[in-house]
Amino acid sequence: MPMEDISSEKKALSLSQLNGLIKAAITDTLPDMYWVTAEIAEIKLNQKGHCYLELVEKEDDTTIAQIKATIWAYEYRAISSKFQKATNEPLARGMKILLLAAVTFHEVYGLSLNIRNIDPTYTIGEMARKKREVIDRLRKEGVIDKNKLLELPLVPQRIAVISSPTAAGYGDFINHLDANPYGYRFVCVLFPALMQGNEAETSVIRALDQMRKKRSDFDLAVIIRGGGSTVDLSCFDSYALAAAVAAFPLPVISGIGHEKDDTVVDIVSHTRMKTPTAVAEFIISGVRAFEETIMGLEARTVNRAEDFLKDEKQRLNSLAQQLALVPYRLKSVHLNRLLLLQKDIRGHLRQIFHARKNRIENLQQAVRHLDPEQVLRRGYSITRHKGKVVKDATSLTSGMMIESTLHKGTVASVVQSEKAGKEGKDHGKKQGPDLLPGLE
Amino acid sequence: MAKSRDLTYSQALNELEKIVAEIESEEVDVDVLAEKIKRASFLIRFCKGKLRTAEDEVKKVLSEMEEGPVEEAAGEEGDGY
Repeated sequence: MPMEDISSEKKALSLSQLNGLIKAAITDTLPDMYWVTAEIAEIKLNQKGHCYLELVEKEDDTTIAQIKATIWAYEYRAISSKFQKATNEPLARGMKILLLAAVTFHEVYGLSLNIRNIDPTYTIGEMARKKREVIDRLRKEGVIDKNKLLELPLVPQRIAVISSPTAAGYGDFINHLDANPYGYRFVCVLFPALMQGNEAETSVIRALDQMRKKRSDFDLAVIIRGGGSTVDLSCFDSYALAAAVAAFPLPVISGIGHEKDDTVVDIVSHTRMKTPTAVAEFIISGVRAFEETIMGLEARTVNRAEDFLKDEKQRLNSLAQQLALVPYRLKSVHLNRLLLLQKDIRGHLRQIFHARKNRIENLQQAVRHLDPEQVLRRGYSITRHKGKVVKDATSLTSGMMIESTLHKGTVASVVQSEKAGKEGKDHGKKQGPDLLPGLE
Repeated sequence: MAKSRDLTYSQALNELEKIVAEIESEEVDVDVLAEKIKRASFLIRFCKGKLRTAEDEVKKVLSEMEEGPVEEAAGEEGDGY
């Protein structure tokens, strides 16, 4: 074998000699520093403060290039804080960065890039591009407005909260709700989740799943974080979380607590508020709006009731006034009737008196006709025998002395004969009607 | 008429709006009007009261949540935290 030949000829280099050659070659061929774009596949800090990274380039999820890189502690602090300030994110796995690096070769540690600078604007652009892609995808799938199309509850009183239980923002939220000036009571139930870091995305999605099972107990869902660091919001730009929020069956109010661009979760949530306190304020205003509606209806009811009472009072008053007049009117009516009656009675009395008078006059006349004096005057006579009135001729016999009283004077005579019978009686009867004229 | 226990905000609001429209229509009979105003004032008191007590809601949600956190905790353990 040729290899054996070579080693036996003692022309072999030691490993360090070879690495020395490599190092020299690299230094000669790649003496400058280069701007390179790469994705961070791994990143860690060691105890001395040096930062070690694994950089990759991917094409359709397949790694097509990979290299180790370092940022020495001396420069790491400045580079990372500049990056974080610009992007609001710390350097992290999955990020694409534009870095300035020298290619170095160490005899023991091999080939690596020594990173001297990182340009955050590239990462910002990359993040924005990624975010746009997520938004475009949600839009294409027709879910981006799904949560916004849900109607807000009439009264948001039962609130399901996703937050970290220890977050200051969660305390702010609860305190602000409880301290509302109207005395409203809220029911808040926390579905705890990690709100930052690599686990945040799955943790929040899991909390949403828990919440979904209890959705009939709640009017509204809120996702809040805040207090502490305002960095590392990348989980709120993730497709999976944004899709879960967009498709959530209750309106989701976000209060993720940052001043910069909206995250995708903010974009798909029903309503985006800046801080947890603002979310609480929003909820209180919703309840207040309902109560104001009720108060408006109350005012209208009260108005109507007052109008009604006023009308009734007026009606009662006018009735009372009418009633007050009744005695007077009754009095005058009765007086008139009395006067009429009086008149009637007088008329009747006059008639009665008149009739009586007539009758009395008739009677007087009749009585006058019966007076014996009057009878004698008309030619009748009274016959007596020994002072006794003779009514029957048979009681007389011839030779008896009788005395006849006429209208004027008396005649004494002697009976020659007597005729008894009907004539006398008829005569007597005949006298009756003649004697009593007008006595009917 | 729904009893207060079963009454929701939206039922109360709907009924209240209906009553107010009726009593403002002027055609309503006096006796009916008094009855309606009484019902309206009950509904108003119900809504205002419910906004400030929510006791039943708290109890209901909390009793239902008692199972919830247990499941949740078990799930998290199962995920190997």
